[in-house]
Amino acid sequence: MSIPAFLVTESVNALSQAALLFFLGVGLTLIFGIMRIVNFAHGTFYMLGAFIGYSAARLGGFWFALAVAPIAVGIAGMLFELGLLRRLYRRDESAFLMVTFGMALVLTDLIRLGWGPEALQVEPPGAFSGVVMLMGEPFPTYRLFLAVSGGVVALVIWQFLERTRFGLLIRATSQNAEMVHALGVDVNLVRSAVFGIGCGLAGVGGVLAAPLVTASIGMAATMIIDAFVIVIIGGMGSFPGSLLGAVLVAFVQVFGEYYLPDLALAFMYLVMLLVLVVRPGGLLGREA
Amino acid sequence: MALLELDELTCRFGGLVAVDRVSMRVEAGEVRAVIGPNGAGKSTLFNLITGVRRPSRGRVRFAGQDVTGLPPARICQRGVARTFQLTALFPGMSARENVRLAAQAREARRWQFYGGAAVFARAEERADAVLERLGLTAIANRPAGTLSHGDQRLLEVAMALAQEPRLLLLDEPTQGLSVEETAQAVAMLSGLLAEESMTVLLVEHDMEVVFRLAHRITVMHRGAVIADGTVEAVRQDEAVQQAYLGAA
Amino acid sequence: MRNLYALAVAGILLALAPLALPTYGMTLLTEALILGLLAMSLDLMVGYTRLISFGHAAAYGFGAYACGWLLLHTSLPMLAAIPIAAAMAGLIAIGVGWVCTQASGVSFSMLTLAFAQLLYAVAYKWTSVTGGSDGLAGIPRRPGPFGLHLFATRDGFYYLVLAVLLAAFLFCRALVSSPFGAVLRGVRENEAKTRALGYNTRLYKIAVVAVSYGFGALAGALYAPFAGFANTELLFWLLSGQVLIMVIVGGTGTLVGPILGAGFFLVVQHQLSNYTEAWALFFGLIFIAFVILAPEGIWGFIRTRFRRAAPETEYRRGVAGAR
Repeated sequence: MSIPAFLVTESVNALSQAALLFFLGVGLTLIFGIMRIVNFAHGTFYMLGAFIGYSAARLGGFWFALAVAPIAVGIAGMLFELGLLRRLYRRDESAFLMVTFGMALVLTDLIRLGWGPEALQVEPPGAFSGVVMLMGEPFPTYRLFLAVSGGVVALVIWQFLERTRFGLLIRATSQNAEMVHALGVDVNLVRSAVFGIGCGLAGVGGVLAAPLVTASIGMAATMIIDAFVIVIIGGMGSFPGSLLGAVLVAFVQVFGEYYLPDLALAFMYLVMLLVLVVRPGGLLGREA
Repeated sequence: MALLELDELTCRFGGLVAVDRVSMRVEAGEVRAVIGPNGAGKSTLFNLITGVRRPSRGRVRFAGQDVTGLPPARICQRGVARTFQLTALFPGMSARENVRLAAQAREARRWQFYGGAAVFARAEERADAVLERLGLTAIANRPAGTLSHGDQRLLEVAMALAQEPRLLLLDEPTQGLSVEETAQAVAMLSGLLAEESMTVLLVEHDMEVVFRLAHRITVMHRGAVIADGTVEAVRQDEAVQQAYLGAA
Repeated sequence: MRNLYALAVAGILLALAPLALPTYGMTLLTEALILGLLAMSLDLMVGYTRLISFGHAAAYGFGAYACGWLLLHTSLPMLAAIPIAAAMAGLIAIGVGWVCTQASGVSFSMLTLAFAQLLYAVAYKWTSVTGGSDGLAGIPRRPGPFGLHLFATRDGFYYLVLAVLLAAFLFCRALVSSPFGAVLRGVRENEAKTRALGYNTRLYKIAVVAVSYGFGALAGALYAPFAGFANTELLFWLLSGQVLIMVIVGGTGTLVGPILGAGFFLVVQHQLSNYTEAWALFFGLIFIAFVILAPEGIWGFIRTRFRRAAPETEYRRGVAGAR
């Protein structure tokens, strides 16, 4: 493969990876922005999306799964927030951490019980199961689809946050919840909704990832670390930051895997460490 | 040589100048009150002195040594103790344990894995003495988080005193206290400070407290010092009266 | 004095166990004591300093692998391999602690998790040393030195574990009751204030991480000759979660609580797994319930019922009640 072809194909590859990571990270950062907590179970919701997607796909195909799974995961997230997290708002940060950790354990086991310990295979939709030619090299169409959909969704979310009333509410609440409350808005409702949306987005990522990565139980821990790194790099609570973080991490992972395989995890760890040390608020964020 | 010297101390947060070229000399044994309207930069000044914040410009000299930019723990070890505007205690520990931890800090250099009993004994002795001095012996065994606001403020002062500091920084010690509690606290403090001839930097809003405790007053406004002198002189100062003293 | 009395009674009961319990019970009890040591070591961080570690399996797994490797590839007796493995872990943990304490709160926890994941990945891939996904097998309980066979037998090994646990407990008890322990509690209650008092809290945190991981590795080092194998399961994040559950459910900040929590966990796990596959789910829910409703844990509850509560339990109850 010629060098330019290599760079282009690997870059598009990285962008498809970035899309998945973006779906994972944007929810976490939105949740943090609104609630100032890190949802440790976020990676597990992502996994849940993959597994529900698997079942839904067997029922009604890929597109059906893409519609149904995120909603299911979003609702699950909202129920979790309403039922459990609500009780913790007056406690300290470590209580949140532990409850969301417990949730990750519970969800992981639920998934194992529901779908078995084996990894599951999902077929990409017929339209995207082939290859396209990219600079003379075959490139999986599905990955191209991912890269594009990542960009599209990012755009949609951006517009949603900037232009719609609810988006405005979200931004306002993440900056000054008390003020929003004083203006007569039910802040708790906003929080639950954002938590649900965040989990739903993770669910989208899970469904989209399912044809590529065989869904498995061990994913949960890796995913939450990945999500955390993305959010840390881009800044906790920063939407554009999560995009930046996802792209950075994806490129590091894809090109790193090529040149220094097996060291990917160590690399992530180092990157996370570096960012935490040098700029605890992330590259774009405002909270430490 | 003054115990505390501030030399053109400045602190900027982006465009905002929180502390503007403040220079000050506090002699040993002096009780200096720092007053000014909200936002005048008083707490920031404390943060600069105790190393919590680095100044953008200027220097802090304590007992003749330049301590600018040293980490808070180091500055504290040199003999500076402070209380906070928002009560900072160890809520789950008893009042005595709170003060004991402060007293123990005097020997902070050693890890104290062994010989712990002796360290505790000395620290507890000091703690009990300070608690007695401030009239807190009755609540010594109660968890600090369950104490009344007034007792908590006093407990914080007790902790600062237990560190046997050479310089004591009190940030609005009577904040939130009732009139009665304030009077009691002031009576206690004035006796204590006179006895130990302690050097104190006191931020206060309650002018009665200032007049009773302080030897000299420094007035700050919008980050800068606008007056500095004895209590009488400042009372008469026009700039001060204009800035805010009328609303005492 | 009452404490010593209770401790002596417990010690005697445990010492007599081999006379009363069948083989299956003894195996369970030995494992419970080993996990008890692991949980107690985590309590130093979680309960006394509020450093929430999600990666304590790293200590356990490292201890097991290190000891296992030493027993398989050298002729060191068990009584030497175990402490050596633990000491190695303690030293490395100083570095880990230094790295993780660069951050605090959630970031600290994430870093501990990341480190454990890293170790997991290394164990998985470094097949030549760790045996990859198969792990190390056939780890012997090598007797010695001087032909001391005492601890290599089933009951003998049990007494070794019991002795180590008791010694570790006494050490930790002394540690948390010392001035050093008082500073740790200060960090737990209000780290900023502790710094304002003049303590270099970072050093204290690093120290407690090192001691905690060291004892955790000691537990792992006991596990290797106990079970005869070491594998990547010992480094998996689910195990880190289970240890955390033991600490929370048992009662943080008590040392005894986590040991009880480990016993409770193990017994219930064995019983439940006879009836259902969902015991891990069950424990996750118990964990969440305890965090929300009973943060002082089982032992904390017992303490307030039957003895005069320590100030902090009083405070926690007070706060919980006020809500």
